[in-house]
Amino acid sequence: MKAVFEIVDRYLEAGCCSALLYAPIDEDLTYRQTRRYTLDFEGDESAAADFVSKTLLDEVAQDLHQGEGGALSGYQFVIDYGMKPGALDLEKEAVVSYYEHLDGPAFQLNDLKIEQRVYVFGEGKANPDRFVSDICNRAIHTWSVIDGAN
Amino acid sequence: MEKRPHALLLKFPGTNCDAETARALKAVGFSADVLPISQVSPDRLEGVDLVVLSGGFSYGDYVMAGRLAQLVSEQRLGDALKQFRDKGGYLLGICNGFQILTRMGLLPEGSLIHNDTGRFKCNWVKLKKGSQKDSPFLRGLPDEFELPIAHAEGRFVTKDASEAEALVADGFGVLTYTEDINGSFNQIAGLQDESGRVLGLMPHPERFIWSEHHYDPDWKNENGGEHGSGYYMFQSIFEEIEEKSGLKAKA
Repeated sequence: MKAVFEIVDRYLEAGCCSALLYAPIDEDLTYRQTRRYTLDFEGDESAAADFVSKTLLDEVAQDLHQGEGGALSGYQFVIDYGMKPGALDLEKEAVVSYYEHLDGPAFQLNDLKIEQRVYVFGEGKANPDRFVSDICNRAIHTWSVIDGAN
Repeated sequence: MEKRPHALLLKFPGTNCDAETARALKAVGFSADVLPISQVSPDRLEGVDLVVLSGGFSYGDYVMAGRLAQLVSEQRLGDALKQFRDKGGYLLGICNGFQILTRMGLLPEGSLIHNDTGRFKCNWVKLKKGSQKDSPFLRGLPDEFELPIAHAEGRFVTKDASEAEALVADGFGVLTYTEDINGSFNQIAGLQDESGRVLGLMPHPERFIWSEHHYDPDWKNENGGEHGSGYYMFQSIFEEIEEKSGLKAKA
């Protein structure tokens, strides 16, 4: 069974997209970054959600959104990127190692996928390719782009 | 052998200020040991007066600063640190240690998130002691003093802004920046718990032990002495422990 969780920082406001890119952008665009965790697991779904809440969420400063649909709306496009399968993802290793030391978890974690999500907002039409090329590292990342118009 | 207050520094993968913090503790008279978290168990807290979580980037700040260190500490120690505090022990968290203590629930509820600029900040700041409640860690310091900061996730926030206001008004926010440094609610730089025996702060006292550490080569403390503000912080808690444990009287 798969479950997708997206974590949104409550206190971080949208920033100017030029901060993401090597050269400033002319269009009036802003961005927000979130984190997506995809759990492949067997067993108690609520136990898996509890694990995410206790391990990956800061209840004071973040909101948890569960489901495939994005936590934010009204975007022009979204870029999801994460480590290539087979590349050493130290964050994933640390989280999985913590899970493996849990005393009798009520679910079996088969796989964990960690992705950064970048939402781009604004009126001016921007080319996502430029963002992909400046944000993602082709040597270690895989990515996908979701067009907000679709 | 002379019994001195003993400090135990817990070291996580990525902790990198433990050596200089141990040096600072020894400079004021503590005996100090650094112990990797993999070797920590509740019985290792026997005979310890002060537990220190020093600065660094535990577990690479993965997930969020301090979270994995919190989870691993809880796995290894359960509520032993809370029991240690309840039995009269002292805890100090510096920078990443403050983040860990906050996530462990050993300090009032809040969180340390990314600076409002989104950037790592490394500079000297002016700090002000809270006036509502005394802190045994800050007793020997003037009302305002300077320390260096070095953090990306040092913005203290609460679920509601009014909670941060209450923390300062009720004496938990014992240390504030004199100006807005990172977007912290009520400019909170350090917090203590109800008992006053747990302190967490973002600035690095261990980096200002001698006057030579200061950016101004002509800097002298108020008494014209050679020590920096950080020295007096460690000395304050050393004297508090000596006094409370009766070690001073015996000496």
